[in-house]
Amino acid sequence: MLNDLWFRARALFRRNALEGELGDELQYHLDRHVEKLMQRGLTREEAIREARLALGGLEQTKEECREARGVVMVEALMQDIRYAFRVLSKSPGFTAAVTLSLALGIGANTAIFSLIDAIMWRILPVKDPAGLVLLTHGQGGSFTSGFTYQQYRLMRDRNQVLTDLAAYSPAHLNVSINGRMDPTTEGQLVSGNYFSLLGVSPIAGRAIDPADDLAPNGHPVAMISHRYWGRRFGFTPSVVGRTLAISGMSFTIIGITPPEFFGAEVGRAPDIFVPLMMQPTVMPAWENMLGDPIQHLTWVQALGRLKPGVHVKQAAADLEALYRQELPMVGKFSPMKNERLALAPGVAGFSSLRREFSTPLFILMGIVVLVLLIACANTATLLLARATARRSEFAMRLALGARRGRLVRQLLIESLMLAILGGLVGILLARWAAQFLTAFIPSGDAPIVLDLSPNSRVLLFAAGISIVTGVLFGLAPALRATRIGLGSAVKDGAGWLLRAGGLRSGKVLAVIQVAVSLVLLIGAGLFVRSLQKLNSQEAGFVRESVLVMRVEPKGSDQRNVPGASERLDRIYRDLLRQVEAVPGVRSAGMAQFTPTSIRGASVTVALPSGEEERAFVPMVYPGYFRTIGIPFLAGRDFSANDLDADAPLVAVVNDTFARRMFGKKSAAGQQFHIGSFAHEIIGVVRDSRYTNFRGETPPTIYKPFLQTHTGRGQMALYVRVTGDPALVLPRLREAVQSTDKSMPLFQVRTLAEEINAVLVQERLIATVSSSFGALALVLVCVGLYGLLAFAVVQRTREMGVRMALGATRWDVVWMVMREALVLVLIGGGIGVPAALAAGRMASNKISGLLFGLKSTDPLTIATAAALLTLVALVASYIPARRASRIEPMVALRNE
Amino acid sequence: MASQRIDLPQGTLDLLILKTLALEPQHGWAISERIQQISRDVLQIQQGSLYPALHRLERRGWIKAHWGTSENNRRAKYYELTRSGREQLDDETAAWRKLALAVGQVLDMV
Repeated sequence: MLNDLWFRARALFRRNALEGELGDELQYHLDRHVEKLMQRGLTREEAIREARLALGGLEQTKEECREARGVVMVEALMQDIRYAFRVLSKSPGFTAAVTLSLALGIGANTAIFSLIDAIMWRILPVKDPAGLVLLTHGQGGSFTSGFTYQQYRLMRDRNQVLTDLAAYSPAHLNVSINGRMDPTTEGQLVSGNYFSLLGVSPIAGRAIDPADDLAPNGHPVAMISHRYWGRRFGFTPSVVGRTLAISGMSFTIIGITPPEFFGAEVGRAPDIFVPLMMQPTVMPAWENMLGDPIQHLTWVQALGRLKPGVHVKQAAADLEALYRQELPMVGKFSPMKNERLALAPGVAGFSSLRREFSTPLFILMGIVVLVLLIACANTATLLLARATARRSEFAMRLALGARRGRLVRQLLIESLMLAILGGLVGILLARWAAQFLTAFIPSGDAPIVLDLSPNSRVLLFAAGISIVTGVLFGLAPALRATRIGLGSAVKDGAGWLLRAGGLRSGKVLAVIQVAVSLVLLIGAGLFVRSLQKLNSQEAGFVRESVLVMRVEPKGSDQRNVPGASERLDRIYRDLLRQVEAVPGVRSAGMAQFTPTSIRGASVTVALPSGEEERAFVPMVYPGYFRTIGIPFLAGRDFSANDLDADAPLVAVVNDTFARRMFGKKSAAGQQFHIGSFAHEIIGVVRDSRYTNFRGETPPTIYKPFLQTHTGRGQMALYVRVTGDPALVLPRLREAVQSTDKSMPLFQVRTLAEEINAVLVQERLIATVSSSFGALALVLVCVGLYGLLAFAVVQRTREMGVRMALGATRWDVVWMVMREALVLVLIGGGIGVPAALAAGRMASNKISGLLFGLKSTDPLTIATAAALLTLVALVASYIPARRASRIEPMVALRNE
Repeated sequence: MASQRIDLPQGTLDLLILKTLALEPQHGWAISERIQQISRDVLQIQQGSLYPALHRLERRGWIKAHWGTSENNRRAKYYELTRSGREQLDDETAAWRKLALAVGQVLDMV
């Protein structure tokens, strides 16, 4: 075998030398034969002639020797590649059209794939990521990953199955450096063994170690990310040893993490790492969660490494026994009691993006596969038309002795080269498209950082689909084009089509294209329409002119500080007065929540029927409803007199609450109880979706700030302006500053932007699928146009005859367009059931993304079909007109 | 003479070449002459089949080639049997004899 390979290689690379040897060898044989004949008495000339005749063709023998040496195949392949290059560069228009349509298909696929890769599969840049496991708990199919600190500590100290168990918890830190505030910095609290477990070494200074994580608030040290080092310190080498303030406490910077390190969660990029024991300081909004044995918040993620030889199931059982000893209690109730502990592989890290975006990404993957199919069908149509045009070339080569296999191979090489070209352009497009797509992922407070640089997996994927498509769209035309009866094709280049029914393959391809695009269009239509339904809003209400801002005066993020509520209430009322006075402000109000961050208490209310109902109880200030465009169905908004703590308890409720509580009776003026406290309903507002966009609106009780004792007091300011919000914003900042100098104003967005952030999955899918739908329409249009234009040329004579026999121009136009319509009809006959079947199969995936309609929505299906028909008519009109202009005499003389 | 010539069954040529080379290294011309001579002109090996066969056998590693000087003092390409070629020859010879015997027995049936 080895000998064989070496022999072939030598045959290939030392070709000239071997050719010479072969010539010499055969010449020697010939000479000896001549000698022998001359000895028998022939003259030299006679002998040579005789020898040549006897020995047969010299060249043929040489060729057979080459073949025996195994040179021919490789050499012929090189020849084919060179030839393909020449052929393709001779028709740049064709090459460009095919390359572009493949590049779009391959690029779209690679882009989605690289996102899936970055979010789902990319391996953590830490030591031996395959050995990492993440502890999760849950029941059935749903597992989550938070534990209480007590559970973590017990599992860390007492387990027999892990070499170590580390913990971390993401947190938003209030950082200031040299007095300059940086209100939202993504940080992470980490256990002392976190960096040693991950095997990550700092690029400067030292890492947080167990000695830094012993006593609550005991070791104010921090590590910063490479990114943060550059952003805030300009890569100053002396940064280690300097201090920064987190929630007012001074922390010493002890080290810098490596540039590629982002913790264990894909998509997050924490900038500051502090020991877990610093929790009470850096998370002042929360109580101390380290010591309190009854606290029940599951806020730490636990991450470990299995001991060698320990099986995952065995480890989970061991850890579960420990975890059960520290089940947190909420009142008399233990939410984790029936849950099991499981270990998730940690090799690719962990990500909430993965939970949130896996469905949309896989749906998009399905969509781009359809796009690729259409692009392939399109390319095959083009290749088929071209192969037809090259028919006499093939016939000539066959007549000269080429085997059919050789021609098929030649055509396949051409299509593979096109596919590779398309793949290369596609990879470039993918880079750009993936970045465009990540812009959709909501970043909230922390930027989403994904490594999208193409790795071997992504490149392999792109190469794979390029080659598969190359063979897929190349094989059928190649087989068709080379199936030639020798005599007929050399004689006439084009006439064969009528007899051979060569258009049939083109028609099949067109039907496929129509069917696939219809599936795509119906899908896109469903997503777009449900986004529209989600987005439907009050008539005349412009979301762009409402600004939503977060304001957090000092102390608003702390719980139950005596006197804080009254002070905050004064600040807020003052702020509202100041803001309302700003020119350009139509109205202003405040609420505890924004569409992207739902905050508010939740209480149980007894219904008259005796049933209990959970209701959402957010704090609001007067003007909120007017500002955000929620109309009153009855009653009034809060007035200044309702705001004081000692005023009678009042509430504005939404329609759902009013109906549940009082049925058809008017709710305004009625009373209800929260606990033992009677509240009067002063107004009923229409249900709004701002608290829950996708599901049902919860029963909601809006209450004034001071009448609601939830402890914390962060509010969002809503301002409705006239004209451009950007012009009003600076004056709003001034108003905020003049109310309270230390009050940060941040996350300024328009209401439209807030809602867009909530509807990100829906928007992502609707935008991407509809743009791919448009792309599919263009491809179908081009494909149909190409096919019909080609058909018209082929049938020139037939048209001529018809017109000579009295067909009008309109008869001819209709004939061509009818053909297009028949193709669309057949394609639709396949596409609609296919779309319905796809909708049924994917129903559990897409039903969560469809709102207010089903996957069988007739209006959507009808619209998609109508759109496609329209496109088909447009595509067929130009060829049809050309057909109608045929001069019968010219057409008949043509052949 | 012509009537005495018969076509070689498939694969037999390889066997004959190997056998001829088992005696001593030879160049192509001498191989065909030797076979013709020994078979008393019954077997005539054409150049068109001899050389492809030689190259095929070389690729399989059963024979190897080197350039040498011929008996009439010219450069000629000599082939010789390799070890695996010798084994191949033994195998094929045995198989051939078995086949010939069997075919003979069938033909001698009364």
